[in-house]
Amino acid sequence: MTRQGWQTGLVLVAATALAAALPLALGTYSLGVALDLMMWIALAESWAMFSGLSGYVSLGHAVFYGVGAYVTVLLWQVLPLWFSVPLGGLTAAALALLLGWPCLRVRGPYFVILTLGISEFIKYAVISTEAALGRNGRLLIGTPSLTVLFEAMLALAVLSMAVLQIVRSARLGAGLLAIREDEVAAEAVGINATAVKLSAFAMSAFIPGMVGGLMILRSTYFEPMQAFSPTTSFTIVTVAILGGSDTVAGPLLGSLFLVLLSELLWTRAPEVYMIILGVLLVAFVLFVPEGLVGRAGRFLRAPKPGPSSRDHRAVVIEP
Amino acid sequence: MEEVADVSLILSPQLLAAALVLAAFYALIAIGLNLVYGAMRLLNVAHGELVMLGGYIAYWGFARWGISPLISAVFAVAAGALLGVLLYATIIRRLFRSTRMLARVEANSLLVFFGVSVVIQNVMAVAFTADQRGFSYMDGVLTIGSVRIEENRLLALAIATVACVACALFFRYARSGMAMRAIIQQREAAALVGIDVDRINIQVFALGFGLAALAGTLVSMTAQISPFMGFPFTVSAFVIIILGGLGNLLGSILGALMLAAVEVYGAALISPSFRSILVYGVFIAALLLRPQGLLGRSIAAR
Repeated sequence: MTRQGWQTGLVLVAATALAAALPLALGTYSLGVALDLMMWIALAESWAMFSGLSGYVSLGHAVFYGVGAYVTVLLWQVLPLWFSVPLGGLTAAALALLLGWPCLRVRGPYFVILTLGISEFIKYAVISTEAALGRNGRLLIGTPSLTVLFEAMLALAVLSMAVLQIVRSARLGAGLLAIREDEVAAEAVGINATAVKLSAFAMSAFIPGMVGGLMILRSTYFEPMQAFSPTTSFTIVTVAILGGSDTVAGPLLGSLFLVLLSELLWTRAPEVYMIILGVLLVAFVLFVPEGLVGRAGRFLRAPKPGPSSRDHRAVVIEP
Repeated sequence: MEEVADVSLILSPQLLAAALVLAAFYALIAIGLNLVYGAMRLLNVAHGELVMLGGYIAYWGFARWGISPLISAVFAVAAGALLGVLLYATIIRRLFRSTRMLARVEANSLLVFFGVSVVIQNVMAVAFTADQRGFSYMDGVLTIGSVRIEENRLLALAIATVACVACALFFRYARSGMAMRAIIQQREAAALVGIDVDRINIQVFALGFGLAALAGTLVSMTAQISPFMGFPFTVSAFVIIILGGLGNLLGSILGALMLAAVEVYGAALISPSFRSILVYGVFIAALLLRPQGLLGRSIAAR
C-alpha cells in the first residue's frame, strides 16, 4: 500500500470512530438524519460497485432493499435480528443471482428498463401476496433503539465503502471495468463476462438487502408500496451521478449532498425538493457527467490533460 | 373480487369495446414514444407526463371556463408540441453534441427524461395538489346492440382512431412523414440524401408530444386524473413499442391492441388487482424473449 493509501486509511478509521460516537452527541432527530446519511452511503456505494464499474445501470435496486425488508418483517419475532437481517441480505443476493442470469444478457438501456420492470413486477407480486394473506401492512413493535440501528447502519456504510475499494483494486474490478469499456473485447481477452457480472451483481445486492431490513426496523411499519418504491432506485442512481460513481468518494459526497438538500427542503416543501433533484439530475448528466468528485479531481489535476485524465471521468453509462 | 368467469365473458362485446377504447389511447401514446425512440434512440420516460398535462389542460378548461374538451384538445396538442420543441432545443440537442455523448445517448436520455418527468410531476402537484380530479362530459350511456358504452368513451375512441389513421396516412404520403421513416430506418443515409435531420427531429418531438397530449385530453374525458398518473402510461407505452417493434410505427398499433386485450381480459378473467402484474409480466417476457431482436436493431443503428 502506498503512503497516501495509509494516510487515507487512517483518516477513514478516525472518521468511522468519530461517527460511531455520534449517538453520544446527537439528539434523536439529528441521529435520524445521520442514519439516513449512512443508509444512502451504504446503498449508493454498493450500487456503484456493480453499476458504476460495469456500466450496467441497475434501476432495480429498490427490489433488493424491499426483499431484505420483507424477509426481516416475515421473520420478526421468529428469528433473532442478528440472524434475520443478514438473511435478508443473503436473500437479496440470491434473488440477484436468479434475476441476473437472464437479465445480464441484455445490454445498455434494455438492461436499465428491464431492471425497473422486474422491480415493479416483484413489488406488485408482493402486494398481491400480502392482499391474499389479508395483510394491509405489518406493524413491528419493540424494534431496537435508534442508537443500535445507527451503529449497524454505520457498519454497513463502512463495509459498503470497503467492498467498493477492494473490488476496484481486485481482479473482479478490472474485469468489470473491461466489460464497461468493451464487453466483446473483454471476453476476447479471456474475461468470463457472465461470471464477473453475476458475482458483482449479487454482491451489490447483499448490502441493500440488509439496509432494507434495518430501515424497516426504523420505520416499524411494512407496506410493500413503500418498501419497494422505485423512488429508492432512482434516488440511488441520482446520488451516484451527482457524486460520481467511479470512486468511493463519489457516492459518499453525493449522499452528503442529498441528505443536506433533503434536510433543507423535504419537510417544508417536498415537491420543491423533488423538482430541485430532477433539475440537478438533468444538469449533471448534461454538464458534469463525471460527477462532483470527478470535477473536483479535474480541477486539482488541471494542467495534466491526455489519456490519464480519462481515468477520472466517471463514465457511468456505456450502452 | 370477481366471480368465477365463464366462457361467455370472453366473447362479450362489452369487453371487446372496453379493450378497443384502451387500445386506441395506448396507440396514440405509443406512436409518439416510438417516433422519438426510432428517430433519435431516446428513451423518453417522461412521455406519460405529456398525457397527464393534456388531461389537466382539458380539466382546467372545462372546470374553469366550461370549454369543451374537444376544443381543449386542440390547445393540448399545440401545448404538447411546443413543450416538445422547447425540450429538444434546450436539453435534448446537447445529448448529441459529441461522439462520446452520442455513444451513451440512450442511457443518458433515460436519466435526463427521468429528471424532466420528476420536475413536471411535482410542478403540477404544486399547482394542482396531488388530489385526483375529474369532470363529467357526455356521460350518458348509449346502447348499441348488446353493448352499453358511455358517449364520452365512444367519442374518445372515434377521435383516437381518426388520429391514428391520420398518422398512418401522414407517414405514408406526407414528405415529412416519409422523412421521419427514412431517419428511423437509416439516419446517416437519410442525411446523405439531403434530409435535414435536425429539422425532422424537431418535428418528431412536436408530433410525438402532441399525440401524447391529445391522448391525455381523451383519457381525462373518461377517467380521473392526477399529477402522478403518467408513469403507468409510460410503462404501458414501452411494453407496446417493445411488443410491436422499436421504430415500427404500425407495429405500435398492433402492440396497443395486444396489451389492451391482455389487460382488459386479464382483469375480467382473473382480478382487476392483477393488472399491474400482467403488464409488467408481458413487459419482462417481451424484453427477455427477444433480446437479440432488440439488440440487433440497437447495434445496427450504431
